Amino acid sequence: MKTFRSTRRGALVAALATVLGAIALPAATQTAAAPVRIGSTLALTGPLSATAQIHRIVGEIYVEQLNKRGGLLGRPVEWIVKDDQSKPDLARTLYEQLVTADKVDLLIGPYATGAILSAMGVAQRYNKVLVHHTLGIPALAKYDMQFPAWSLGSDPATTVPNTIFDALAAGPKPPKTVAVVTNKFPSIQFMTAGAREVMKKRGLTEVLFLEWDFGNRDFGPIANRVKDAKPDFVWVGAIGLDGNLLLDAMKKLDYVPPQHFYLYPAPGPLVSLPEAKNALSVTIFEDQPPFTSAPGAAEFVKLYRERATKAGLADPSVETQAAASYTAWQILEAGVVATKSLDDKAIATWLKANKVDTLQGKLRFDGLGNFGDDLMRVKQVQNGHWVVVWPKEVTSGGAKLIAP
Amino acid sequence: MSAFTLPSASLLSQSVLSGIFVGALYGLMGLGLSLSWGLLRLINLAHFAFAFLAAYLCYELASRGLDPLLTLAAIVPLFFAIGAGLQGLVARFAITPFNSLLLTFGLTGLVEALIQSVWTADFRKLESSYAEQKFKVGTLFVPVPELITLVLAVAISVAVWAVLRHTDLGRALRAAAEDAPIAAAFGVNQKANALLLAGTCAALASIAGVCLALSFTLAPSQIYAWIGVVFAAVMLGGLGRALGPLVAGTLIGVSEAVTMAVTAPSWAPMVSFTLLIVVLVLRPGRAA
Amino acid sequence: MSGPLRALVKRTPIAIVGAGVLLAGLPLLGLPAFYDSLLYLMLHWIVLATSWNILSGYTGYFSFGHGAFFGAGLYTTSTLLARHDWPFLWTLPVAALVAAVLGVALGAIVFRVKGVRGELFALLTLAVTFVIGTIVGNTPLDGGQGVSLSAVPVPKIGPTASSTFYLLALAAATTTLLIAWGIAASRFGAGLFAIHDDEDAAEVIGVPTYRYKLMALAISCALAGVAGGIHALFLSYVTVGEVFTIAVPLTVVLMSVLGGTRHWAGPAVGAVAITGLLYSFTAADHAIAGKAATGAILIAAILFMPDGILPRLQRMFDRRGASVPAVVGATAPVSAPSAAQALAMAAASAVAAPGSVSAGDRRGATVGTGAVLLQVRGLDKRFKGVHALSAVDVDVRRGEILGLLGPNGSGKSTFINVISGHYAATAGEVRFEGQDLTGTPAHRIAAAGIARTYQIPRPFAHLSVVDNVALAAMFGGVVADPAAARREAMTWLEFTGLAGRADARPDALNLHQRKFLELARALASRPSLVLLDEVLSGLTPSEIDAAVALIRRIRDQGATIVFVEHVMRAVMALTDRIVVFDHGLLLAEGAASEVMKRPDVMTAYLGTAAVAVARQ
Repeated sequence: MKTFRSTRRGALVAALATVLGAIALPAATQTAAAPVRIGSTLALTGPLSATAQIHRIVGEIYVEQLNKRGGLLGRPVEWIVKDDQSKPDLARTLYEQLVTADKVDLLIGPYATGAILSAMGVAQRYNKVLVHHTLGIPALAKYDMQFPAWSLGSDPATTVPNTIFDALAAGPKPPKTVAVVTNKFPSIQFMTAGAREVMKKRGLTEVLFLEWDFGNRDFGPIANRVKDAKPDFVWVGAIGLDGNLLLDAMKKLDYVPPQHFYLYPAPGPLVSLPEAKNALSVTIFEDQPPFTSAPGAAEFVKLYRERATKAGLADPSVETQAAASYTAWQILEAGVVATKSLDDKAIATWLKANKVDTLQGKLRFDGLGNFGDDLMRVKQVQNGHWVVVWPKEVTSGGAKLIAP
Repeated sequence: MSAFTLPSASLLSQSVLSGIFVGALYGLMGLGLSLSWGLLRLINLAHFAFAFLAAYLCYELASRGLDPLLTLAAIVPLFFAIGAGLQGLVARFAITPFNSLLLTFGLTGLVEALIQSVWTADFRKLESSYAEQKFKVGTLFVPVPELITLVLAVAISVAVWAVLRHTDLGRALRAAAEDAPIAAAFGVNQKANALLLAGTCAALASIAGVCLALSFTLAPSQIYAWIGVVFAAVMLGGLGRALGPLVAGTLIGVSEAVTMAVTAPSWAPMVSFTLLIVVLVLRPGRAA
Repeated sequence: MSGPLRALVKRTPIAIVGAGVLLAGLPLLGLPAFYDSLLYLMLHWIVLATSWNILSGYTGYFSFGHGAFFGAGLYTTSTLLARHDWPFLWTLPVAALVAAVLGVALGAIVFRVKGVRGELFALLTLAVTFVIGTIVGNTPLDGGQGVSLSAVPVPKIGPTASSTFYLLALAAATTTLLIAWGIAASRFGAGLFAIHDDEDAAEVIGVPTYRYKLMALAISCALAGVAGGIHALFLSYVTVGEVFTIAVPLTVVLMSVLGGTRHWAGPAVGAVAITGLLYSFTAADHAIAGKAATGAILIAAILFMPDGILPRLQRMFDRRGASVPAVVGATAPVSAPSAAQALAMAAASAVAAPGSVSAGDRRGATVGTGAVLLQVRGLDKRFKGVHALSAVDVDVRRGEILGLLGPNGSGKSTFINVISGHYAATAGEVRFEGQDLTGTPAHRIAAAGIARTYQIPRPFAHLSVVDNVALAAMFGGVVADPAAARREAMTWLEFTGLAGRADARPDALNLHQRKFLELARALASRPSLVLLDEVLSGLTPSEIDAAVALIRRIRDQGATIVFVEHVMRAVMALTDRIVVFDHGLLLAEGAASEVMKRPDVMTAYLGTAAVAVARQ
């Protein structure tokens, strides 16, 4: 009776102590541990803001999820993001502020190639590791400690067109003649140049080649020349709205290209355009199986859809930009966790030697420029949705490339 | 530079038509700017921001089911009021033409921020029934939204020209622009006229904005994409001349379209602007 | 200019260099590199805005093409670095040269075309930007790929890469400000300011407008080219889309207008203000609100400081600081003295004209020899169907006062305009002191010794009265430096009784004073021949008497005068001879009293019926 009561009292005390301890300990840890500060800029205003807003939402989601899991190295994570106004020279200056004045622990990349290259220069000068989301020109990534989240592979100008033409060749109507029309934007132009080489090697006939300036408004004559060339397939080196404008112009001429491909279109506007039926594009991730079975993917997709809708974005689904953004954070976290440190050199060394599990699958960084595999898949607009159609392993529900 | 390809007749004529359409939009966008610069001595950069704001409003209303052209009934008076209101506020300060550039640049930033906070930086495209319709004239395709723009541009330019040329109001405006004190001495009520003119210019911007919404995709940063070419049309057409921006805009649009039809489209800006330079150097008197 | 202010002006270059040297020590403070880059951006814009102002602010030729020259420098450096492995610093002078050559090539064509001014010049320069951008984007210079300079080593001028750029930009900015100040304080700058106010009048008083505009353009472009060259390496990846847009020219216009375009330091003030404004709103949470705030601040700034920040600051300091002491020669007048009083004052003080040297002596001939000074043969001028002058033959003798008479529209003013070079003759020959002046540009005619006044006075509106006259002294070949020219100008102002209004703006003068200002300006270049275009029109009778006396004194000092007049009593009183024009033809010539009695002259003036009446 004395023993039993004391045991019970002891158990009660022990239980109480455990409970109190459970409450108090994290609090104690939190007040004791300074947050891990990760810094970056994004083009929150200016011409690039349409896409940068995606990266902002993704970053916020990731940091929230990360903090729910206990943060990094047991410390909460704080994301310091600044607006570089779509200007690379400002991006450079702000990255310097992050490193030298704000003294952040880690960096993560900004949006768009120009800003990424500026950030890379700063990272190089201060020996910081830089994981970036969407650098479009791998050949320019010469810094040793930079890591891409966008799985283009180190020679996308060759590998990506090959993927596409493989898909077309396996489709119902492999094209013989191609019209190549492209924007002269740097990250587009070199891909198109590579595509033309690939076409030549595969014995396809180029019936038209046109380049236009970034900012071109009038696509009428271009659409007309495409129509006159009567190609089996149109390769459109598009970025942003070019695809829409071209399709609009073609519709006005009563012309529908038999098969067409758009390199980096603004996905939302393109998929909702009726004339974009059967348009092809590339992606590293889509909101559909098997991509959504990747670890964390389903939850991320749901959260992103909620947040994007709340923010008023026209297209709240996850695709390349959002996926690459999430992947970048995953890579950085993996590096920190694996090396149990915030040491840039250690993280970089580890990343180069190991693979990271991400939304896109297992990524490696031991290729040229720290690029790994080309994981670009072919998707198509079918019934107003993007459906992944190639390679077969990543299609679901029997999805296939449609050629009218 | 890829070789010149001899275009088929239909390609050439369709391209010329395409150039006329985009040139008409340049002209319509430039009309208010030209009147403001020539008659009010205000270089109104915010003209573009107003056009885009009107375009976004049209998009918003049309997305809720209203016919885009009907939105004009609400949008035009609204912008007239905004324009006149701003003129009323600003008139008490001594603004030179180049000061006004700064002022309106600030205003543009404000409006752009407003647009971005309401509609986000996303691309917005108005899906209207007009976009589906087109005519065929011979071998030429004439899409309806562009036709509407052309018709509006021509009609409004001619109307403004007629008012400036043949009415007392027009004469009063032109007189005040040339020599304000003397015009005042002759009884021209400059304050009222300035309000009227400013309101009209803003209203013209809003009409251009609706036409923009019909044919183009909208994004806040696109405001700046039009400044260069529309300024060119305005300056080439002669400040304060109603038909000037339309003619000049058409010239620019057609020269670019024809270039794109016969050679690499990326050379188009060079051709149109070189043409402009040549015209200016050889016959500046015509343009002035 | 007042004493204390004058002393300050000389110290300005020292202050600029001193500030530059002081700021060069910033990297040594060991501040985070971010400050170097931020200040680099500020200095970069100071260079661009100030260089733009040298042409556009000073001369009024607003250019929208600064992006073209900036871009030319940027791509010169990129190409030399990426393709030819040049050391970075050596690319900068080449960048400056390429930009300057481009500018001069453009200017050589465009400045020749008389109609291209104002907004047409702005348009032309904007068009050039797009043309060059397209060329660069379509050729191997860029080709659309952009040029990557990440492999190029940054020279070790400062402890870090960012501080190197900071120091380079500091050097560029210091140089640019020195140049801008130097030009503003020099004869060259005075000429540019005159071009701003009235290019034709400037040309006529001797400013070589074409040459000066080209020089200003060349300097402006060269500095922009250097800024471009430095920026290329700062960016380390350059694309056409970033550079050849309206963004750069628009920004420099805004910065200069905000700071004040007439002052050499105005654009720098504007650049600092706008850079500070743009970059203070970088916190992500308020990005859009920040943009709105920037817009609102700009609006407020220009509404409350329409002349710009710097003039507003100057006015604040002027009100507090020492008041400007009265200028030499006249008692500080409370109100404008009447013509008679002014003349009396001038007569009371040293009456002899400055230097007491007759204008003729300057050119080597003596007074009143009766030799032919100006010989006009067969002068013809047509304006698109209007035959303003028809085969006019006139001799003007040294030391005489020749009256030019005739009804309105007879060609009198056209005659003066052609002789002074304001218009080019369609045919005929003009010989002055034996030199053939036919077809010579107006500024050389002025240098040869011919000066004129305008019927409706055309003073340089933004320059003070004394500066207006000083300009003529500088460009008429009398004195070279601005300080000496001002002294010379003061004596001419005394001569014409305007000494009390030396620091006033021309629009503060009444018509009569402005006419005398025209006279003073015409005389300051010590011309051998003075052409007066209806100088008496609009004057009251007592003012006319004063003017007549003044004109006589001008001739007494050795100038030859040709004057167009309608006021008969002045003609009778002053002229030795008159010539009468009618519909562009020289109708009659001889002594005033005789010529006016001739029937054909009376017919021309009064009409046939009136003459018939007069005959009776």
